[in-house]
Amino acid sequence: MRILGIETSCDETAAAVVEDGVRILSSVVASQLDTHGKYGGVVPELASREHLRAIVPVVREALQRAGSTYGDLAAVAATEGPGLVGSLLVGLTFAKGLCFARGLPLIAVNHLEGHIHAVMLEARQRGEEIRFPALALVVSGGHTHLYEIKEPGSYRLLGRTRDDAAGEAYDKVAKLLGFSYPGGPVIDQLARYGNPEAVRFTRARMKGNPLDFSFSGLKTAVLRWFEKRDMEAEVRARRELLRHNPRPSIEDWLAVTPRETLDLLASFQATVIDELLRRAAASAGQIGARSMIISGGVACNAGLREAARSAHLSVPVYFPTPGLSTDNAAMIAAAAFPKYRRGEFAGFDVKARANLALA
Amino acid sequence: MRETYRTHSEEETVALGEKLAGCLAPGAVVLLIGTLGAGKTTIAKGIVKGLGAAAPDEVSSPTFTLIHEYGDPPAVYHVDLYRIDEPAQLDSLGLEELFDRRAVVLVEWGDRFPEFWPADRFEILLRRRDDTEREIEFRRSVPGGSP
Repeated sequence: MRILGIETSCDETAAAVVEDGVRILSSVVASQLDTHGKYGGVVPELASREHLRAIVPVVREALQRAGSTYGDLAAVAATEGPGLVGSLLVGLTFAKGLCFARGLPLIAVNHLEGHIHAVMLEARQRGEEIRFPALALVVSGGHTHLYEIKEPGSYRLLGRTRDDAAGEAYDKVAKLLGFSYPGGPVIDQLARYGNPEAVRFTRARMKGNPLDFSFSGLKTAVLRWFEKRDMEAEVRARRELLRHNPRPSIEDWLAVTPRETLDLLASFQATVIDELLRRAAASAGQIGARSMIISGGVACNAGLREAARSAHLSVPVYFPTPGLSTDNAAMIAAAAFPKYRRGEFAGFDVKARANLALA
Repeated sequence: MRETYRTHSEEETVALGEKLAGCLAPGAVVLLIGTLGAGKTTIAKGIVKGLGAAAPDEVSSPTFTLIHEYGDPPAVYHVDLYRIDEPAQLDSLGLEELFDRRAVVLVEWGDRFPEFWPADRFEILLRRRDDTEREIEFRRSVPGGSP
């Protein structure tokens, strides 16, 4: 049984065909990074326009690569939220049109549930079984959420950011210091060359729910550090580098990044990772979790993966492979299978919802 | 109208936002002006609470998603233009539509596009004095009035 998944919640236009909830027959992702990179972030009007341009060829390619036709499909799944409404609408409306024309059922999927299912799908592929209750950390440019998954499909929100998302903190620090967008990959790579204990950042202490996150104070601390030093020349050198070469290599970056700045990046990254893992471990303990899932764009971070491995957590930790960490449609199709089995279909009046909550 | 306050903690900044919310009627546009880490999102938490739209902990940075809505129907739109560089990008966001709804519109980084906003609007200027102390100025600019 095959489901076509469509994902357009942010700046990736993606389509995938997944069979029986476990075999990814195709997964096509058209990234708008080149369009947005120069703007230092996602620009909604550009995003919708790019989705409109990409959606038809991306879906067609996903079907071709899967060796599928519309006639093979059991259902079409699309992301209904959270995300940018203009972007979500492109994928959701396309899916509605397709379902209407072909008489297929439509399944609406929460983007965050998709990220969790990316991990569950890959575990099934390896023949492993994720044990429940599980703790899920979904961490990206727009989200930093901790969920209890009592059993598949049953979520409870345990904590989330009260200000900036973790990926957003990376983007803002990168922009401040003259690095490229998105900030995560470049900081992750350069952090390896610095001393993570060189700059002591205060850990966020949360009043109220101790499982909530805050990255605003850390961002401000980096700004203070920056203001106390004369960094204009090196920031200018990096912006200059980016103007001539939009994809600098790690050596290019190292040539315009002094040791002290590498130490700052390493310390910043170590602090973010510590905040994430400490709360994830505390939540896992609190709910008696038997496994931990870490997903979303920041799950690509090599420093985070290494730290999770060496933290000797009492439960197994599952990360998606990098291709399924960032936004993709295979995870949307995967999340649709249990809904299909339960007969949870969406009407054609389903709306794109920017703030859609998972729990 | 122009008033200046000092706050000495995030809690005081939230409480001030709650108090200032009393001056804001539906349709009000409020620019939150200050550098990275000045407390724009923090005072927005207080305003959203003061307007009864959501609890402060539910208010987070809209940098990534650009616009957050609070209340059902939305009583507050919380906009963040940090990622917007060009006026042309701003034009396509559809912000004018928000001005016509019966809601308060809070805008971070809006001062970078001064000609875009209604002449009758509120501005909250946040200045960091040290790690915890903030000087916060609340003012209303009225067309033809003193700036």
